[in-house]
Amino acid sequence: MFAKLKKKIAEETAVAQRPGGATRIPRSVSKESVASMGADSGDDFASDGSSSREDLSSQLLRRNEQIRKLEARLSDYAEQVRNLQKIKEKLEIALEKHQDSSMRKFQEQNETFQANRAKMAEGLALALARKDQEWSEKMDQLEKDKRFLTAQLQEMKNQSLNLFQRRDEMDELEGFQQQELSKVKHMLLKKEESLGKMEQELEARTRELSRTQEELMISNQMSADLSQKIEELQRNYSTLEEQRDHVTASKAGAENKITALEQKEQELQAFIQQLSIDLQKATAETQEKEKLITHLQEKVASLEKRLEQNLSGEEHVQELLKEKTLAEQNLEDSRQQLLAARSSQASAIDSLETRVKELEQSLQASEEKLKQSSDVVAAQEAQIQELASANKESSCAQQQVLALEQQCTEQIHTLEAQLSALERARAADHAAAEWKVRELEQENAGLKESKNECEHSLQHHQLELKKLKEEWSQREIVSVAMAQALEEVRKQREEFQQQAANLIAIGGEKEQSLQEKTEVILQKEQEILQLKKGHDSALLQIHQLQSELEALRGLRAEESEAAAARKDLLRLRGQEQGVVLSVSEPHVTSRAGQDPAYQLPAAEGIPNGEMGTAMDLGQLQKEKQDLEQQLLEKNKTIKQMQQRMLELKKTLQKELKIRPDNELFEVREKPGPEMPNMAPSVTNNADLTDAREINFEYLKHVVLKFMSCRESEAFHLIKAVSVLLNFSQEEENMLKETLEYKMSWFGSKPAPKGSIRPSISNPRIPWS
Amino acid sequence: MGGFFSSIFSSLFGTREMRILILGLDGAGKTTILYRLQVGEVVTTIPTIGFNVETVTYKNLKFQVWDLGGQTSIRPYWRCYYSNTDAVIYVVDSCDRDRIGISKSELVAMLEEEELRKAILVVFANKQDMEQAMTPSEMANSLGLPALKDRKWQIFKTSATKGTGLDEAMEWLVETLKSRQ
Repeated sequence: MFAKLKKKIAEETAVAQRPGGATRIPRSVSKESVASMGADSGDDFASDGSSSREDLSSQLLRRNEQIRKLEARLSDYAEQVRNLQKIKEKLEIALEKHQDSSMRKFQEQNETFQANRAKMAEGLALALARKDQEWSEKMDQLEKDKRFLTAQLQEMKNQSLNLFQRRDEMDELEGFQQQELSKVKHMLLKKEESLGKMEQELEARTRELSRTQEELMISNQMSADLSQKIEELQRNYSTLEEQRDHVTASKAGAENKITALEQKEQELQAFIQQLSIDLQKATAETQEKEKLITHLQEKVASLEKRLEQNLSGEEHVQELLKEKTLAEQNLEDSRQQLLAARSSQASAIDSLETRVKELEQSLQASEEKLKQSSDVVAAQEAQIQELASANKESSCAQQQVLALEQQCTEQIHTLEAQLSALERARAADHAAAEWKVRELEQENAGLKESKNECEHSLQHHQLELKKLKEEWSQREIVSVAMAQALEEVRKQREEFQQQAANLIAIGGEKEQSLQEKTEVILQKEQEILQLKKGHDSALLQIHQLQSELEALRGLRAEESEAAAARKDLLRLRGQEQGVVLSVSEPHVTSRAGQDPAYQLPAAEGIPNGEMGTAMDLGQLQKEKQDLEQQLLEKNKTIKQMQQRMLELKKTLQKELKIRPDNELFEVREKPGPEMPNMAPSVTNNADLTDAREINFEYLKHVVLKFMSCRESEAFHLIKAVSVLLNFSQEEENMLKETLEYKMSWFGSKPAPKGSIRPSISNPRIPWS
Repeated sequence: MGGFFSSIFSSLFGTREMRILILGLDGAGKTTILYRLQVGEVVTTIPTIGFNVETVTYKNLKFQVWDLGGQTSIRPYWRCYYSNTDAVIYVVDSCDRDRIGISKSELVAMLEEEELRKAILVVFANKQDMEQAMTPSEMANSLGLPALKDRKWQIFKTSATKGTGLDEAMEWLVETLKSRQ
């Protein structure tokens, strides 16, 4: 400790430029001895207090030895004290000197510092003012420029926006135009298509027409042919009719002939009948004659027999022969007559038969003829019928032809009408299409004009835009220049900041050195204090020793030394006090010196004779202040933003307030199906009473209504009433049953059960 | 006694009274709508602590219309009235943008009830005569109506004081109820 102090003192003296004068005393030894002494004495003293008297003599002896030792030590101590006093004096002197010097130094430093400070303050103030003005001017200018530029920027933005809008409009218009054009084109195409269709239709119609005309021609020809045929047929008909007439006439002739022939036949038949009758007669005659012949023959036979028998009678036989011959002659005559008759008859029959045959032949021939003629007639009739049918057919055909002709003409008419209509429609379409085309062209022209206008305007705008862009570029250049200037300024600022930082660092270093120095001073003070303490402790030790000595001397009745020691002590004390006072003074002054340094931390680290850097520092600090002002402005804007944020937060909180309400409500709603828990649980005390009031009101109202309204309504109120009045399920059911009974026509009144009585036994939660 | 006769009539003619609830937040205009429907006039109303029940005849259909008070403290009692309900008229104040969230949560809670599973929902976007009124589509979205499944619903913009929109809404309701029978 002392060594340190000594070293420090040596340093101090070296700093104070006072070489020499330092005393080199081996204090370490004394200190150790003192410490050991103190420890020993303390122990002994403690043991002494509790020792008995019997050991007193030995103790005394020991004490005497100790005293001796102590005396020796004391003398050593006295010497040491003397040395210490010397050292002390020296130290005091040195201290005083040091104090003086330090005081002086302090004063000087203080003065110089004050002067510097004043100067610096002035300089700083001046520079500040100047810089302020410059900066404010610059700032004004910059702000003006900025405002101008912002205005221009705004204008430009507006213009560009307008431009964009116009461009958009243009685009839109173009789009519309194109759409219109495409529409028009589309319509045109459609129209053309329809026109083509119409033309095709027209062609088809014309083709149809020609075909129909051809058909008509063909049909006409056909009709002509048919009429010719008809004529031919008529002619045929007439010839056939003539033939028919002929035939009918011949037929009539033939029929007449036939009738005549039939008559002849009849006549002939009659004649034949007559002849047959004659024949029968002749046969009958012949039969009679034959009978007569047979009779005659019998007579002849009888006569011959009689002849034979009357041979004699020759006359008689001759007469008989004569008679026989006569009879034979008669017979032969009759035979001849008969034969003649027969032959004549046969010839007559033959002739008649031939005639009949002839007649029959002629009849057959005539009949054949008739048949032929009738065949012919039939054929002719068939022909006539055919012709008639053909005639009819021809007439039908003529009618058909006429109808066809009519149809054809009608068709032709209709087709012509259609044709004309189509042509008209086509013409109209053409006209409409043309008109539309014209319109569309007009529109197109209009649109083109508008487009041109728009283009013009666009060009104009583009020109404007270009101009604006040029302006903008100029502005940009200006702004770039400004930005560059700003950057330069910033760089300068940064440089300044760096300088400031450097200076601050230097200042900090200087501060550090100052602090170190102050620390050194403080250390020294501490050392001084420690010294004082050491002094004090030494003094205390001395005092103790002295007290011990005194005690011992009291024991030995040696008070003179104690008095001297006391005198010394008192003296030392006085000196000590002086030292203390002198030490405390610079402490105060150093404090006083530190205070302004504390007040002006900016000017704190300025050492002596460094005014230039100090000025720079001042400037830098001013700039720094400017920057700080800017920072403050920014802070203000930040604060404004924060205020806005707060407002937003408030609005948010409003919404958030709603949410807790909802949650509360949900909590209230939760209580589930248990009816007793249905009553809302209101947390707030003020709400509670309010809610209670409202609930009471509610209960009152519900009960009133329940009692006054009709049963069907009251039935719906049972639940509400039972919830409000905390009815049990049974009570509620009872109420329901009662009401049902009241509402129904029949049924018995439900018997009140025992449990329905007002249930006081189980007190329920009151409706809050 | 009236109930007796009405029960006779109902038994004779077989026309059941349709039970309709008018629900909604306080101040939405439920009571005004009820009396507008019943007597066709705008009545001066006070906040309903409790309920109003009226019989409204519309197109030969009888409705028992219950207008339940919508104040926060008595909203929980709504569920006491849910049983046998044919339709719910949910009235929303079109100008009350702050509480449409609450309205939605109430509506959602109501529609989750089993007793109202078959009830038809008619939302009245009321107070449409006001300037800052929300549009029905906006309100439908705010109330989450498009998300409703298995529910016949319709939103109508109404003004109880001007009387607009109520007829269309009732028309729809009657048609829907008839078609459902």
